Amino acid sequence: MTQLLQALLNGVMTGALIAVPAIGFSAIFAVLRYPNFAIAAYATIGAFAAWWANAQLGLPIVASLFVAFAVTGVVGVAAEETALKRLRGNGALIVAIASIALNLVLENIVRFIFGNEMRGYDLPIARDLRFGELRIGPQQLQSLLLSVIIMAAMFLFLRYTRFGKAMRAVADNPDLARLKGIDPARIAIVTIFLGAGLTGVGGVLIGLDTSIDPLTGYRVLLSVFAAAVLGGLGSIPGAVVGALMLGIAEELALLAVPATYRTAVGFVAILLMLTFRPRGILGERAA
Amino acid sequence: MLSYVIFTLTLCAIYGLLGLSLNLIWGGAGLVNLGLAGFFAVGAYASALATGAGAPVLIGWGAALVVGAGVGLLVTFATLRLRDDYLAIVTLGFAEVIRLVALNERWLTKGSDGISGIRAPLKAELGTQNFALFYLGVVTLVLLVVWALLRRLDLSPYGRALKAIREDQQLAAFAGKPVLRFKLQAFALSAAIAALAGALYAHFQSYISPDHFQPLITIYIFLAVTAGGVGRPSGAVLGAYAVVIFLEATRFMTEWVPGLQPVQLAAMREMLIGLALILVLHLKPQGILPETIPKAPAPPSAA
Amino acid sequence: MTPFSIDRRRLLAGSAALAGISALPSRARAQAGPIRIGTLTPLTGSGGPYGPVMVKAVKAVVDEVNAAGGVLGRKVELISEDDQTNPEAGVRAARKLIDVDKVSAILGTWASSVTTAVAPLCWESKTFLATVSGADAITQLPHQGYLIRTQPNTTLQGKKFGEFCIAEKAKRVFFLSPQTPFAKSQFDNITAAVKAAGGETGSLIYDDKKPSYRTEIDEALRFKPDAIIFGGYTPDTAVMLKDVYRAGFSGLKVAFGYSVNQKLIESVPAEVVDKTFTIAPSPAEGSKAYERLVKLIGVASPDPYTTQIYDQINLVLMAIAFADDSSGAAIKDAVRKVSQAQGGVKVDNAIDGLKAIAAKQPVDYDGASGPCDFDAIGDIIDSKFRYEQVQGSKLVLVKIA
Repeated sequence: MTQLLQALLNGVMTGALIAVPAIGFSAIFAVLRYPNFAIAAYATIGAFAAWWANAQLGLPIVASLFVAFAVTGVVGVAAEETALKRLRGNGALIVAIASIALNLVLENIVRFIFGNEMRGYDLPIARDLRFGELRIGPQQLQSLLLSVIIMAAMFLFLRYTRFGKAMRAVADNPDLARLKGIDPARIAIVTIFLGAGLTGVGGVLIGLDTSIDPLTGYRVLLSVFAAAVLGGLGSIPGAVVGALMLGIAEELALLAVPATYRTAVGFVAILLMLTFRPRGILGERAA
Repeated sequence: MLSYVIFTLTLCAIYGLLGLSLNLIWGGAGLVNLGLAGFFAVGAYASALATGAGAPVLIGWGAALVVGAGVGLLVTFATLRLRDDYLAIVTLGFAEVIRLVALNERWLTKGSDGISGIRAPLKAELGTQNFALFYLGVVTLVLLVVWALLRRLDLSPYGRALKAIREDQQLAAFAGKPVLRFKLQAFALSAAIAALAGALYAHFQSYISPDHFQPLITIYIFLAVTAGGVGRPSGAVLGAYAVVIFLEATRFMTEWVPGLQPVQLAAMREMLIGLALILVLHLKPQGILPETIPKAPAPPSAA
Repeated sequence: MTPFSIDRRRLLAGSAALAGISALPSRARAQAGPIRIGTLTPLTGSGGPYGPVMVKAVKAVVDEVNAAGGVLGRKVELISEDDQTNPEAGVRAARKLIDVDKVSAILGTWASSVTTAVAPLCWESKTFLATVSGADAITQLPHQGYLIRTQPNTTLQGKKFGEFCIAEKAKRVFFLSPQTPFAKSQFDNITAAVKAAGGETGSLIYDDKKPSYRTEIDEALRFKPDAIIFGGYTPDTAVMLKDVYRAGFSGLKVAFGYSVNQKLIESVPAEVVDKTFTIAPSPAEGSKAYERLVKLIGVASPDPYTTQIYDQINLVLMAIAFADDSSGAAIKDAVRKVSQAQGGVKVDNAIDGLKAIAAKQPVDYDGASGPCDFDAIGDIIDSKFRYEQVQGSKLVLVKIA
């Protein structure tokens, strides 16, 4: 029983790591309607930007998170405007494929500048807190809290601000939105800035627990996709729920399946889920 | 030098088959298969295991076709209800699952050691040099045959029906086309071709391992098909040749850049590959050989 | 006439032209031209943390030897290719090194899959191959002598890990490793050593791309280990060490020298990795090769792959000088005559070795990674090991044994 509970807790903590980049991915998908593979590079760039702010400039980690958000947001907008924007007319799949190429380019720009060596933040590590036989990581708890706050903020932003409403209008129907005087190009820029920026923040959280190198984001790409698909592509709360579900599914499965098959467990979970709910747990209504 | 050219052309032909496989499913039926590396792996392992158990090489290739088609059907059944974007991500996961199975099921695949000493047909009789030429001939011939078949398919009523499904699934169904059956057939055939490419690769290199089947090769093939022109078999083949030659050419390009560390040169090579794909998409979204949709034959006049 | 045949002809012409261009800089394989040596290390992909510094070590040796007049009066030219940690790409790179650059030897293949894929190309073209890969199966390939490996095999290494844990009074030893070609045999050898002293072992093979391993650690800790041995590479070992620390494990931690290296130690919080022991192949006490390499490349604690490739380039250059011939076949026949000549002059670098060879003295090279003596199939015969411990963010030498 303790084992089961602990695995559940572990799943929530692992899921929290994936949740923030999954929010970024889903935000971009919600408005621009294409799966952006370059989020792997965005997460890596965020991790490096925060490393530069934290370990080189000596900023505290919270300030570094903002640096990561801003830098990755700007890189994301620049990349989108130069490499992807003009392709949107050719269909989502062409943009998705271009984003794979974009990811390769960005990853190697990072490698060109920083090399392959690992880096780490200047931040102490905390031992887990113990409650009886259960243990919880305080830093993982903070990650979880952060992803819930970001999710809530995004949700409120989309629901109640004028800009957020405009974003949702563009997501629903760009032509209709344009008739109402909304400029879809501007909305797209803001969406990319937010989406890439949040992915960058997610990259920092992942970098905290793993290592910072040119493949930091790439290693978790499949998990982020899996989380977003599980929760329903394009749904912000879905991204968080999907990430937590994926984390829990993977950790629980470890009790029965060899640990090397963790990634496979995620995909079986997706297939099962999609068989019964083709649009994910919190999927959007049919288009 | 000559053996380098022969080697590169052999690889071109194998990539060409992968390009044809992707073109059939993507250009033909409009389904995105990011799991190409997985089918490539399935074929390579099927043939390596079959010939390892004593079967002749041709039987091994046949086994690759059959197993490839079977796995293709399985994947299609599992993903039938998915929308395109979901399908792209799920097929990507499929390739990763195949790689994990190859990595962990040591009893079957020898795990991360990989399978070495895969029989190279007639290599002992021909010697290394002649074998290379002979094998180039074989793969090029296979490529030609598959290309000719797919071109006929492309121009046939069946091919037109597939493209109708690609353009508008509901309309095609409304017009009485058995959409589901068509999709299943196209996916199975496409998977079988990728698996055949894997088998040809396995017997060419005599060694395969889970590391061979990383997603990078899928990216290369997407680059090939988009560069060559989606929807046209000749375009896919042309694109594959162009990609392999470009991949190799980048080695020589970066040799001319002075004053950089080897890791920076390596990074530049990969950047060039990504940039090339983005540029091709921008400059020639239809590819070098754009698709031409043949007219349906005129209905017999009611004379 | 189909469009395809036109395309193909045009392409053939194009690739022939490409071939022509690329052939220009590579002069004929005249014995008077430069001696060409290739490195094939991972510069991108998951092996990326290791390849760049390996190339740096080789380049430093080549520069040094060239400054001292080269080998046999010829300059040594280094060509570095990237295997992308992928055997498919590795084979393409190796073909280019062999067929276009006509290198005499390829050094430093890292992933076992890349080495196994590249090895047949080498022995068929009579090119010498020196590798750092760990899979036991590699030296059992039918390589006809064209392959040597400087990495100790798992029998040599696993035993040391097991015995070390026992010596440190750990009776229950747990092995955590990703799926590598040597994970199983490594564990078998650890188990043999631990069981022989009445201890117990357990193991878990994990997926090396995950951002957290909490449940894996829980499973490991249920075994109640006195010692944990980490079998992975730097990125995944960094994650493991952090999660082991969080879980409050305070027993003995042992890792391979190539995973807990200086870079890893600098990139994780000090307390996470403090007191961890590392084991790496080493020359006998008193050998100067290791210190020489440290000075040469300016890295405080070069990891085992760097020490090994340093030895490989030294051995290959000396073998060429000894044979008075730069062909791969000559290197194959001569390498053991410079690595382990009976009663030879002990040398620890190529420059001294080349002088001794010029003076017709027999040579016995002792390198930075070990004595570098090879058996018939290319495995190292015996090796000492460096036991180091992380103390205050530095690797401190504990003993060589």
